Amino acid sequence: MPEDTPQKANEAKKGFVRRFLDLPPDSVPKTVFVAVSLCLVASMIVSAAAVSLRPLQEVNRLKDKQVNILQVAGRYEPGIDVTEAFATFEPHVLELATGEFTDQFDPATFDDLAAASDPATSIALEDDPASIGRQSKFVTVYLLRKDDGSLDKVILPLHGYGLWSTLYGFISLEANGNDIYGLQFYQHAETPGLGAEVDNPRWKALWQGKKLRDDSGELLITVAKTAPPQGPEYHIDALAGATLTSVGVDNLVRFWMGEAGYAPFLENLQAGEI
Amino acid sequence: MGLRNFFDRIEPNFVKGGRYEKLFPIYEMVESFLYTPKTVTTVAPHARSYIDMKRIMTYVVIATIPCILVGLYNVGFQTNSAIATYGASGWRAWIIEALGIGFNPANPLANILHGLLYFLPIYVTTLVVGGICEVVFATIRGHEVNEGFLVTSMLYALILPPSAPLWQVGLGIAFGVVIGKEVFGGTGKNFLNPALTGRAFLYFAYPAQMSGDTIWTPVDGFSGATALSVTASDSYTQLAEYGVTWMDSFLGVMQGSIGETSALACFIGLAFLLITKIANWRLIVGCLAGMIGFSTLLNLIGSDTNPMFAMPWYWHLVIGGYAFGLAFMVTEPVSASHTNLGRYIYGALIGVMVVMIRVINPAFPEGMMLAILFGNVFAPLIDYFVVQANIKRRAKRNA
Amino acid sequence: MAQTKRKMLVDPLVDNNPITLQVLGICSALAVTSSLQVAFVMSIAVTLVTGFSSMFISMLRNHIPGSIRIIVQMVIIASLVIIVDQLLKAYAFEISKTLSVFVGLIITNCIVMGRAEAFAMKNPPLASFIDGVGNGLGYGLILMLVGFIRELFGAGSLFGLTIFETVNNGGWYIPNGMLLLPPSAFFIIGLLIWAFRTWKPEQVEDAEYKIQAVESH
Repeated sequence: MPEDTPQKANEAKKGFVRRFLDLPPDSVPKTVFVAVSLCLVASMIVSAAAVSLRPLQEVNRLKDKQVNILQVAGRYEPGIDVTEAFATFEPHVLELATGEFTDQFDPATFDDLAAASDPATSIALEDDPASIGRQSKFVTVYLLRKDDGSLDKVILPLHGYGLWSTLYGFISLEANGNDIYGLQFYQHAETPGLGAEVDNPRWKALWQGKKLRDDSGELLITVAKTAPPQGPEYHIDALAGATLTSVGVDNLVRFWMGEAGYAPFLENLQAGEI
Repeated sequence: MGLRNFFDRIEPNFVKGGRYEKLFPIYEMVESFLYTPKTVTTVAPHARSYIDMKRIMTYVVIATIPCILVGLYNVGFQTNSAIATYGASGWRAWIIEALGIGFNPANPLANILHGLLYFLPIYVTTLVVGGICEVVFATIRGHEVNEGFLVTSMLYALILPPSAPLWQVGLGIAFGVVIGKEVFGGTGKNFLNPALTGRAFLYFAYPAQMSGDTIWTPVDGFSGATALSVTASDSYTQLAEYGVTWMDSFLGVMQGSIGETSALACFIGLAFLLITKIANWRLIVGCLAGMIGFSTLLNLIGSDTNPMFAMPWYWHLVIGGYAFGLAFMVTEPVSASHTNLGRYIYGALIGVMVVMIRVINPAFPEGMMLAILFGNVFAPLIDYFVVQANIKRRAKRNA
Repeated sequence: MAQTKRKMLVDPLVDNNPITLQVLGICSALAVTSSLQVAFVMSIAVTLVTGFSSMFISMLRNHIPGSIRIIVQMVIIASLVIIVDQLLKAYAFEISKTLSVFVGLIITNCIVMGRAEAFAMKNPPLASFIDGVGNGLGYGLILMLVGFIRELFGAGSLFGLTIFETVNNGGWYIPNGMLLLPPSAFFIIGLLIWAFRTWKPEQVEDAEYKIQAVESH
């Protein structure tokens, strides 16, 4: 057909890009081109965002953990410089079995959770009241010193299963290794309004001043509805309406404070070896 | 009959075109409560049964009487027993002292009176709040207020703990009537049991007042676990140490909601409903078979960590709300399946679910309420498949 | 044209609301409405994603091959969602912790896909952007209403500020625990739909069948 010739000439005059864009969208080359170029552009934008924002996110994550440690030690107020306040805490990697600090790992980079799932640094629990499956042999603990250099508080991480979820938190003890200063969970998914009341400041305040063991060294601390016969200083009132979360907290605190947990460390602490 | 004349005289004001046309549902409610309706309904939703609705509903209320009596006695007995240790306080104690009856748990009359002082406020609140909701909907939607509400309110009041705060009682029945029934078009179109809907609302909204160990006997400082929560934490064999024998829970002298502690009273009511053919026996057979079968299976499987696995079926039968739910909730004709085969399946589903929730779910020691609501939701689906299967079979036969 | 643009923005708020009329995006409306603050951030995130994804898809609409259009839309939406997620983690860490996976799940929010497929594929970029923002705001409006009810009566507070002092904190208010559980949003959204349709009866759908009328007594 004669009309073809001028059109073809016209098309030839257009640049390569123009001709390509004018292709019908459903043609094979165009489909492939759109798919490939879109993926390229999208992946570049996404990775650029991820890479450039990573440092900020790391800082946030670290700060979040630090804020929790500050809170459990009673050193947190809104608006303080978290990094500066946290600088007073001494992190140490503790070997649970011996109750002594180890130099095997650098506390700045040691990851407790990763260690708990690594067979080389963890053990599968036979007797597992806190329902955590594997327990790390090493954990990061924090020491807080007074201005004169003497020990003020120790902050120990703990976790265990409640009703629906694993609760992750910290417990802070006075320098004598027996008086509780505070308990705080930073991650859990318990029932809002019932089990999630572990976050309620009024309930958390109940922990302050309680004792783990009596003079004979028997572990008495308990979360229960009624006080044990040994006295109210070993008893934290259970959460109203959240029996199983309370049982979970009871189990995990008693597990971590017991022989499989921090008991060797606390003995060393009381003997003045830390 | 002066009263009849009075109704006849004022009736023209309420019928269509009359002065108070809008208030007809209220007139109709009062009139049909006092007299048998003049008209007989012939079409849906009433077409599924051959006795009229007023009679069904009245019979159900009559069937709850044994539960009410045992419930009143038990609430009073538990309260009076606890008062011996913890002391009495509040307006109820004042009334009882003013009447000079005293708090002796050995005196049945004193127990029933004390129970009445707990039950009546709850029941009256239920009637008033639920009644207002009913009348508002009836007036706006233009349907009649029917006797179904009397059943709903009675069942609802019986499945509450005696210490339930009255404002929660009101909130629960309002939720039950509105969400459980009226939004779907009123009696006959409710696919959920309204009393249970209200109770479930309270259970999830205010668990501190609706579950636990301190609510079943309304005395400050008293703590007594229900048989189910003892079984969940220890074992059913430990129940005797808490003073609960099988006979106790069969007769109903234990901790629990007002009307559901006594399996015997529930079975008397159930027998009445079965004899009058208001309850369909297929539902009962299904629900018993499901419960007995599944709990026996769990007995055989066994578990080292969960003592509920070991509980035999005859304990499941008498503790918690099973007997009450079986007698009055599973048999409720509107929310159950309507096909005969469907009724077996529906009953069995509830029977299996109640054991499953009681034994396997750690969060809820009692499962009857949730199991029945679960069954309610599935009832139309069960009917659908039964009907479809029937259609297919016939099509094949005639092909 | 100005009038229609305004209409595009306002229409999805009540008259054509994505949640109450189209019943889309319910999953996240259940999950993120237990507190107003979270609901607010989620509303903004969805509004941004819907607006910009509609705009970008509209810009490319003449070049998107029909055979892979859904995947192309998904790639664009997913990229935007990841960027929003990364930004939240960097600049609003506390909130991103409570939103957790739900930011990532914006991609499965039917509203975003729905507007891309139903509107942006056929309309110019600016109109698509406005339509996307309008729908995001309509979603946000419902989220905020649900969040208001749930937080006020479920926890006695608004935006974390105490309004009713709860019993657990020594006050008088017994909070309604069910409102803190996701299923309660079903009831509230249902009641909102009821309210909307009573207000605007033209939203009521025709019944699929009729029950035979009951004889009056």
